[in-house]
Amino acid sequence: MKPEALAKTGEPRPGEPTSREEGARKPTKRRDAMVLSVLPLYVFTFLFVIGPLVYMLVLSFLRRAEVWGVTLEFTFENYANILKPVYLKTFLESLKLACLTTLLVALFGYPFGYFMARQNAAWKRRIMVLLMIPFWTSSLVRLYGWIIIFRANGVLDGLLMALNITNAPLKVLYTYAAVVVGMVYALVPFMIFAVYSSAEKLDWQLVEAARDLGATPFQAFWTVSFKLTLPGLLSGIVLTFIPSMGLFFIADILGGNKVVLVGNLIQEQLMKARNWPFAAALSVVLLTLTSIMIALYRKISGVKDLEGLV
Amino acid sequence: MRKKARFPGIYLGIILALMYVPILLVIIYSFNESRINSVWSGFSLRWYRDLFRDKDMLEALINSLVLATVSSLSAAVIGTLAAVGMPRVKLRGKSVVEYISTLPIMIPEIILGMVFLVYFSLIRLPFGMITLTVAHTSFCIPYIYMLVKARLVGIDKSYAEAAKDLGANEWNVFWDITLPLILPAIASGVLLSFAMSLDDVVISVFVTGVNTNTLPIRIYTQLKTGVTPKVNALSTLMFAATLLIIMLSTWFGRKTTLSVKRRNT
Amino acid sequence: MKKTAIAVLVLFLFASLLAGCAKKEAQPQLNLFTWEGMFPQEVLEAFTKETGIVINYSNFDFNETMLAKLEAAKGRDYDLVIADDYIIETVISRGLAQKLDKSKISNFGNINPIYQGQFYDPKDEYTVPYGAGVQTIVYNDDAVDIDIKGYADLWDPSLADTLGIIANHRVINGMALKVLGESYNTEDLDTIRRAGQKLLELAPNIRIIKDDNLQDDLLSGEIDVAVMYTSQVTMAKLANPDLRVVFPTEGIGFGIMANFIPSNAPNPDAAHKFIDFILRPEISAQCFEWLGYYCTNKAADDLIADEYKDFLTLPEDFTGDMEMIRSVSADAEEVHTEVWTEFKAACGQS
Repeated sequence: MKPEALAKTGEPRPGEPTSREEGARKPTKRRDAMVLSVLPLYVFTFLFVIGPLVYMLVLSFLRRAEVWGVTLEFTFENYANILKPVYLKTFLESLKLACLTTLLVALFGYPFGYFMARQNAAWKRRIMVLLMIPFWTSSLVRLYGWIIIFRANGVLDGLLMALNITNAPLKVLYTYAAVVVGMVYALVPFMIFAVYSSAEKLDWQLVEAARDLGATPFQAFWTVSFKLTLPGLLSGIVLTFIPSMGLFFIADILGGNKVVLVGNLIQEQLMKARNWPFAAALSVVLLTLTSIMIALYRKISGVKDLEGLV
Repeated sequence: MRKKARFPGIYLGIILALMYVPILLVIIYSFNESRINSVWSGFSLRWYRDLFRDKDMLEALINSLVLATVSSLSAAVIGTLAAVGMPRVKLRGKSVVEYISTLPIMIPEIILGMVFLVYFSLIRLPFGMITLTVAHTSFCIPYIYMLVKARLVGIDKSYAEAAKDLGANEWNVFWDITLPLILPAIASGVLLSFAMSLDDVVISVFVTGVNTNTLPIRIYTQLKTGVTPKVNALSTLMFAATLLIIMLSTWFGRKTTLSVKRRNT
Repeated sequence: MKKTAIAVLVLFLFASLLAGCAKKEAQPQLNLFTWEGMFPQEVLEAFTKETGIVINYSNFDFNETMLAKLEAAKGRDYDLVIADDYIIETVISRGLAQKLDKSKISNFGNINPIYQGQFYDPKDEYTVPYGAGVQTIVYNDDAVDIDIKGYADLWDPSLADTLGIIANHRVINGMALKVLGESYNTEDLDTIRRAGQKLLELAPNIRIIKDDNLQDDLLSGEIDVAVMYTSQVTMAKLANPDLRVVFPTEGIGFGIMANFIPSNAPNPDAAHKFIDFILRPEISAQCFEWLGYYCTNKAADDLIADEYKDFLTLPEDFTGDMEMIRSVSADAEEVHTEVWTEFKAACGQS
C-alpha cells in the first residue's frame, strides 16, 4: 500500500455517505436529541450576537451627530469615506501585517504543535500548561517585558554586544520588527493548540508504515502527517489571522503608534473623533474582508471537510 | 522502533523558554526600586507593599477569576455541544447561524464593546457580572467551537456506530465515546478562552457595572497617572500562585493515580 | 469522578457569582467613576473612616467611554464622575449632570479662580475642578544641541528620530496650528489641512507616539525630547531634576479635570460630602502631590511640599496666552482625524 492510500483511511472517502444522510435515515427521536445539543448555541446567537450585529450594520449607514451620537439619516457616506487613500492604505497595511504575522506564527507554531502531539501523555499535559501560563498574565505586562528586552542598551542589545555580533545599540524598540515579534508572541498559542489538537489524534502507525515502505522522513511527513494535520493548521491560520487584523495594542506599545492598523483607526474614530458610524462602517468592511480571506483560503487549500469552518 | 529523534525535544524546549523570557523580566523588574518600568535602579519591595495595601485589587482579581472561569466553561458547554451536534442536525440555515456565532471574534473588540453597551441597555440587562459574562462568553464560544470542530474532522465514526449497534443511546455515545476523544480540544479551548477573558479590557470596560471592576480594567485605566510597577508585582504573585496550584494538582494527581493502581492490583 | 468534580465546580462558581452580586448593601455607598489611580489610598480610606461611606471605585479608560456608559445608564448608577473639560461640556448639554448644592460644599471657596468660569461650566453650577494640565515641552539638555523655546524648534533637523509625543490628535495637530499662529479650535478646514502638511515635515523627528508611560522613554534615553501629559512631566522631573521644562512661546494649551454629579445619581449626598472632603486644603495637597497635576485648590498651594511646588503650582509671573482645547464641529473633527492618520503613517515610513 502506498503512503497516499494509507493517508486516506483517516478521512472519509469520496462517495462515502456523509453523516447528514445517515442522520436522515435514523429515527426522528434521535435527531430531536441532536437538535437539543445545538439549541444553546442557537439561543445564544439569536439573543446576544445578532442583535448587536444588526445594530452595528444599521449604525454604519447613519450620519454622525454634530456633538455626540448619531442622527437617523440614511447615508452611504461612511463607506465612501473609506475609499480615501489614507484609509485604504491603512487597510492594506493591516492586511500586510496580518499575513506576515500568520505566516510566521504558522512557521513557528506548526512544528511545536506537531512535536507536542508526539510526546507521551504526561508531557503533553505539562507542555500545554507550561505554554498557557505566560498568557495568564496581563498582555500589557508582557509587552513591558518586551520593552525591557528591546529598548536601547536593553537585554537584547546587551546580549548581542557581549557576543560581539553588534557594537552599537540596535534601537529595535518602536520599529516594525518589534511589532511583528509582539504579534507573533501573542498569537502563537492559537496555532499551537489548533495543530496540536488535530495532530494528537493522528495515527502514528501510518507514519511508521510509510517509513517502512521506504518513504524518506520528509515524504512520510508530507504525504501522511501533513495531510492529516491540515485541518488543524487551517483553523490555526484562521484563529491567528482574525485577531491579527484587529489587534492595535501591540502596534501602540511596541511600535510607538507608527504602524497604523485598521484596529487603531476604528479605536480613534470611536474614542477620539466620536464618529461611530464611520467606525461601524470600517468594522463592517473589516469583517467582510476577513470573511473573504478565509473563504478564499479555504478554496485554495481545498479542504472540503471543513465545510462551514467560519 | 527507530531511534528517538532529539530535535523535537530541543525545539519544544527553546520555544517554551522564549515564551518565558518576557515574564522573567517582569518578575525581576517587580523588585525594581524605580517607578520607571524599564530602567533598573536597585532592589526594593515597595511595589509589593503598595499592592498589599490595595484592597480593591484583590476584589478585582476575584472578579476576573470568577468571570474567566464562568465564561470559559459556559462557552465550553455551548461550543462543544454545538460542534458535536451541528454536523448531524438538519436545520435550514444552520451554516448561517454557524457563521454568525463566530463573528464576535472577527469584529474589532472596541466596536463590539460599544454595540454591546447599547444593546444591553436596550434589552435592559443590568450592567455587572451578567453582562460581563455574556460578552465574554460570546467571544469564547468561537475558539472552543473551532478547535473542537477541527478535532472532530476525521475522527473514526465507526466507534460511535459500533456503540449504537450495541444499544447505546445518543447521550451515552457522547458521554463515553465522543467526549473523551475531543477532550484535548476542549481543554485547549478552555485554556485559551480563560486567558482571553482574563486579559480582556476593551469590551469589559463598556459592559461592566458599578461594583464589578476586573483586574485588566484597573490596570489599563491608569491613563492619567501612568501604570506603576505594582502591576509587575501583581503579575509575579499571580504567576507564583499558578505555579503552586499546578504543582499541587500534579502532586495530588499522582497520588490518586497511584492509589487507583494499587486498588486495581 | 472527574466529570462530577467539574460539575460541582461549575455549580459552586455560579453560586459565588450570585453571592457576589448580593454583598455590600447595608452601608451608605459612593459610586465613584473615574480613571484608576486618581486618589491616594489613604485619602479614600480616611473618607470612609470619617463618614462611614463605602467607596465603590469604578474605572473608565476614555472620556468617551464614560459618556457612552452614562448615556446607557441614563445618568443613574454613578454618584460622582471626574473627567476632562471638553467632555463635561457635552455631558451638561445632554442633561446628564445635576447642579451642585453649594450649601453642602463648605470648602467651595478654596477653588483657585483661574480654573473657574471656564467654557464647559461658565457659571460654576455643575463642576468642581480637580487638577489641571498644561502643555509643555520637556527635554534632556545634554543630548540636545539646540535651545528649545517653543513648538517651532521641534521641527529642527538635528532632532531626527529623538522626539516622543502623546497620542492625542488635538494636542499634536494643535502644535502645528500654534506654529502657524492659529487657534487650537479653528473651524477652518483649510487651516487644519495646512497644519497637517506642516506636521508631515515633523515626521522624521518622531520616534514614539504613545500615551502611557512616555516619561519612561525620556528617562531611559530612548528619546531626548517629549511633549507629554502634566503628570508624566511631574514624574520625569522628580526622577531627573536636570530635565528642562519649557512653556512654549507660541502660547499655552491647558486642560482641566473636574468633578460632576450625574443627573440621576443614587447617592448625591455622599457625592457632595466627598467633594467637600477633597477640597480641604490638607487633603487637597495630599491628592495633588499624588496626582502630579496642577493644583486647582488655592488654599492648598501653600501646603504642597517644596519638592513638588515647581510643577504643581503656576509660576507667580505666569502670564502665558492660555487656550483650552474644545470640541470642534463634525467636519473639522473629520479633517483632524484624517490629518492625524496621515501623520502617523508618515512617521512609520521615515
